[in-house]
Amino acid sequence: MRLLHWECWCAFIGFAITLTFVLFPGPYEMAVFTFVAQPLFAIAAVSYLCKVFLDLRSRKLV
Amino acid sequence: MRIDYIHLVYLFGTLFCLLGISLCIRTARTRFGKLQDAPPVSLWITRLPAESAAKLIAFGALIVLPAGAVFIANYHTFEGVHEVGGCASCHVMRPMVNDMQDPNSGTLAARHYKNKWIAENQCYQCHSDYGFSGNMEAKMTGFRHLARYTTHTYKEPITARVRFNNQNCLNCHQGTLKFEAVQSHHTAGSRLASNEMICLNCHGQAHPTSIQRTPGSADYSRLMEPFR
Repeated sequence: MRLLHWECWCAFIGFAITLTFVLFPGPYEMAVFTFVAQPLFAIAAVSYLCKVFLDLRSRKLV
Repeated sequence: MRIDYIHLVYLFGTLFCLLGISLCIRTARTRFGKLQDAPPVSLWITRLPAESAAKLIAFGALIVLPAGAVFIANYHTFEGVHEVGGCASCHVMRPMVNDMQDPNSGTLAARHYKNKWIAENQCYQCHSDYGFSGNMEAKMTGFRHLARYTTHTYKEPITARVRFNNQNCLNCHQGTLKFEAVQSHHTAGSRLASNEMICLNCHGQAHPTSIQRTPGSADYSRLMEPFR
């Protein structure tokens, strides 16, 4: 089972946007990084941490 | 060779992002349920069970590398907006920047620029309050401007929503011989400190007037020339 499939694609898009902004800075690239890439990273990280927590709880480790 | 912040941003930003992309692809294709029987993986100086290695890679791809990439990109944002070119990259700012760099202009910004009263980052020096809280406020205002600019939800000429903080002027001018020699600075000292009275009341226009910056005005095309 691919447990972290969509989280990885969210982070992938975030990295692609961040790379574009780092190499070609401009107002539009900055806006896409600020208002799209950062939330995508945050969503992916929160979902990942939730899955880790649920996994640990299912093993009765927390 | 002098290494500037921008070179480090390019290097580490590219490194973090490319590594992040490759680890994300790898993690997205990992079937965690089938890793129990897989052979151990050599990772740098150690050997780990395949499942542990995959979890470690997922942690790197979804937590460590995004945090690094976000830090570098935000550093790039905050450093980049200090430069005059950063302000000029939004075309609504061109009138202010072009006027500031015009040797024939008599505005306060132009006089500071041509006399080199501020050596570098001229926009930022006057438009960002010093101190952590002031700077954060300036950054939040910057994000609002970014959203308005990129979604085209603004009207020309743009107008300032916040009252200019005199402290930005006083940080450099207060205590200098020239400043202290003027009696009105002492008379209005408390009103200047509390922003009840602004420096521009006596010291003229800081930037081109809103009439000059209105599309169709006589000065508009000159002020809107691309940034040099």
